[in-house]
Amino acid sequence: MELSRGFRRILDSVALDVFRGEFLTIVGGSGTGKTSLLRLLGGLTPASAGDIRFRGRPVNGPPEGVVVVFQDYSRALLQWRTVAANVALGLEGRLGTAALKERVARALEMVGLQHCAGDQPWQLSGGMQQRVQIARALALQPDVLMMDEPFGALDAMTKATMQDELLRVHERTGTSFVFITHDIEEAVYLGDRVVVLGGSPGRIHTTVSIGLPRPRDQIATRQSPEFLQHRLDIHAAVRESAGGDAHF
Amino acid sequence: MRISRFNIPGLVTILVLLAGWEILVRSGAAKFDYLPAPSGILLASVSLIVSGELFSQALHTVESILIGWTAAAAIGIGLGLALGLSPLLRRWSLASFEVLRPLPAIAFLPLALLLFNFSLTTELVLMIYASVWPVFINTMGGVMGVTSRLYDVSRTLRLSRMQTLVKVIVPAAAPAIVTGCRLSMGLTLVMAIVAEMIANPHGLGYAVISELQAMQPQRMFAYVIFIGMLSIALNAGLLWVSRHILRSHRWAHADHA
Repeated sequence: MELSRGFRRILDSVALDVFRGEFLTIVGGSGTGKTSLLRLLGGLTPASAGDIRFRGRPVNGPPEGVVVVFQDYSRALLQWRTVAANVALGLEGRLGTAALKERVARALEMVGLQHCAGDQPWQLSGGMQQRVQIARALALQPDVLMMDEPFGALDAMTKATMQDELLRVHERTGTSFVFITHDIEEAVYLGDRVVVLGGSPGRIHTTVSIGLPRPRDQIATRQSPEFLQHRLDIHAAVRESAGGDAHF
Repeated sequence: MRISRFNIPGLVTILVLLAGWEILVRSGAAKFDYLPAPSGILLASVSLIVSGELFSQALHTVESILIGWTAAAAIGIGLGLALGLSPLLRRWSLASFEVLRPLPAIAFLPLALLLFNFSLTTELVLMIYASVWPVFINTMGGVMGVTSRLYDVSRTLRLSRMQTLVKVIVPAAAPAIVTGCRLSMGLTLVMAIVAEMIANPHGLGYAVISELQAMQPQRMFAYVIFIGMLSIALNAGLLWVSRHILRSHRWAHADHA
């Protein structure tokens, strides 16, 4: 697929498959079209050329079963609604009251926020607000969860905790993840496959399969020689794709 | 920190000023033929309350304010939502609205009088015309200010257009809409009084003028003071209601990092 804005090309012949249950991470420097790619896949932006299919059906608009989680949690949450009401947003009118409550409670429990159901988002820390957004997506029981640099605005410690939580959710639900990041280590740590996006207009430079065993561990995994090798390879790929001048 | 519920120094100043006014009038130091003393105004007020005249005049004014304000709010919110949501509508109609908006409603009074005669209709038309603007402009601005991220969220959660409007856009714009409604209440009151003075012989505005013509300055002053009190009461009531409506919007004022 391709994407242009006016005379500017954003993405140039990108071909990408996301497999059922896989954790796909996409890395690239700034301006390589990562967010644009995710918006295309999530049905939020129509492609200028080519086609996007979800379970064989062409994507025009966000398909049922695919949900996008955005980086700017404080703007993506409805600050006037409680945490529970935010999580319920996509389900209201689709489920009965009891089923809705139960689904919201389960989603909150999955991200460890069951005790915050009645709080307003602005009362929570950044990491917790992002968890609310993730719970809101999980409540829909999606087949694919698309995340646009969801931990980009969080501090390193919160980020590590959130990564492990996300992996646990992945294990428990079997949901496919498409996870965008500019953090190479994060991409390797989380992913089954890492797609390196580079250049301007952006295109896929390489795709790397990550053979690291699961469950992964912040210390053991990150110290393993395989992890370090992947990190090195992908770093080199990112630099190469940016023409030797990676800025991210 | 508030120690007392009452602002004692503020009250003292008011009482001193009233006493000074009383002394100036009684001693003859203030040479106005028709300037009544505060005590005279107070007595006139009591008699107006007791006779029920005040109640019937105030009832008319309050009724027309509530009708006019409700209509203005409904029209303003409707227009504001429509234009806020539709760039096409804005392109075709905003220029017309921008021409109409700066024209003072009071200038239309003779026109309204000509069309609708001395009637409640004239009064309402003027009130609505004057007070629709703040609601309209604030609603439109509030809707246009809703971040594109909330539209993304609505789409990815697959909300219908109606759900997006009711659950996301209107609540997001609510603080601006409520501000518009509060601003318009002040204008509605002003236009009600003016219209009653000139175009519809009922209510508090008319009472002020008829007491003036009857050379009853005490009673005229009493009505003026009632109008002031009505304004304060409406404002306070509206403030309470808007705080209630926006109780979940406290974050807008909270210092959120």
